[in-house]
Amino acid sequence: MKNYKATVIDYGMGNIWSVTSALQYLGCEVDVSSDALIIERAQTLILPGVGSFRKAMNALISMNLEASILNSVLARKAKFLGICLGMQLMGTKSTEDGETKGLGLIPSSVDKFSSSEVADRKVPHIGFDQVHFDSDGNLFKGISGNQDFYFVHSYRMLPPDSKAGLSTCNYGIDFLAAYENDNIFATQFHPEKSQTNGLRLLDNFLKV
Amino acid sequence: MLKKRLIFTLLYSNGSFMLSRNFRLQAVGNLAWLQRNYDFSQISYSIDELVVLDVTREKRNIDKFCEVLKSLTINNFVPITAGGGVWDVDSAQKLLRSGADKILINSSLFIERYLAKELSEEYGQQCVVASIDLKRSKVGELQVLSHNGSKLHESPARELIDSVLTMEVGEIYLNSVDRDGTGQGLDFEVLELLPARVNKPVILAGGAGNSNHLLLGFKDSRVDAVATANLFNFVGDGLKKARHELVLGGIRLPMWDLGFRNSDVTSLPQNLG
Repeated sequence: MKNYKATVIDYGMGNIWSVTSALQYLGCEVDVSSDALIIERAQTLILPGVGSFRKAMNALISMNLEASILNSVLARKAKFLGICLGMQLMGTKSTEDGETKGLGLIPSSVDKFSSSEVADRKVPHIGFDQVHFDSDGNLFKGISGNQDFYFVHSYRMLPPDSKAGLSTCNYGIDFLAAYENDNIFATQFHPEKSQTNGLRLLDNFLKV
Repeated sequence: MLKKRLIFTLLYSNGSFMLSRNFRLQAVGNLAWLQRNYDFSQISYSIDELVVLDVTREKRNIDKFCEVLKSLTINNFVPITAGGGVWDVDSAQKLLRSGADKILINSSLFIERYLAKELSEEYGQQCVVASIDLKRSKVGELQVLSHNGSKLHESPARELIDSVLTMEVGEIYLNSVDRDGTGQGLDFEVLELLPARVNKPVILAGGAGNSNHLLLGFKDSRVDAVATANLFNFVGDGLKKARHELVLGGIRLPMWDLGFRNSDVTSLPQNLG
């Protein structure tokens, strides 16, 4: 019997239902919470998100969640997964709608795909695309090479110069598709919308 | 490489799923009927996205629609776009919290033009799908319709499409009312209304009645995704077969390793209702 538990951070910006539904399918007990104290104590945290960076960051700050997340992840080493905007919020800063500081868990900034990067490709980058992953990591265990995951975004992070596990996707430029470093995990794509590939990835995260 | 997308569109009205022909609606069945004939926990592996639209002509009940949306998303791990009657950020928020990933807007594009901006400020441009319904006039000229096809816009369709392309929307969903539900094939003439270079993904809808129609759509370089709303032509394993034929026809679509669902998942889904 699996004994997964996860707290999904609800800061008013997420596709909470989809993430929760996928986790429950995997046999995970899900607590959806916007309570700083609960997040402060959680063992496994998931930060989903659909929305603009500035609004999301402001929501996290005004709900006192920024500090609880950082305490949990950095001091207590709680397992953390940021999805889509959730991953971008983990960056150092974003230039979406002015410049906004991020959580700083991933040493990379968030910027819009530039026309020189994507050449004749369309922005937003929407649809299933191949992820070139680091097979030594935990997230992609059991997933055969270069599988497709669902992306829907106009902003991207570039792979940082770091020893962390970096997975990339190419859209004219290699951008950061997934990140893992110790207890810190992130995906730019939506695993909860990536069929069996995504379910397997979420299961891998819960298993770590 | 980014794959093309096969989209299945569900039309919902007042408790029923509908078949639309040239925008005239016919109720086909309720949620139970849909789940019997389209098991989305399986069929979702044959499509890349699901679009669910509330096309109710009278007063819409968004809370009920959200419940239907939630039911559809149980064990269905495919991206979902929801729309129909979205006139404010609150409605969009409700849909996003019920399993939608993107919001489709239509009539507001021509009337309450600030909605696209408000939605994109709140959720990002990638979250907003602009849907444009097109129908030929008596002299054969394509014109834009809105409000469930009841309102005709006099301005040239090309101009209206150009103006939508400058708005803060992520994708454009072009639907041919003339071909809608006819199963006679997609309406490639609507693509002629687009400027030479379109920097947003284009979804073509209306008229696909079999896999060959879909194939022709995917082979058109202007098209990023093809949608069909034909509830009868793809019933049972119709979508699965169509996808298989598309792949055989050389269309690059994502493939899934279904083993994971059958072997590794030990628990039954919890009741999400």
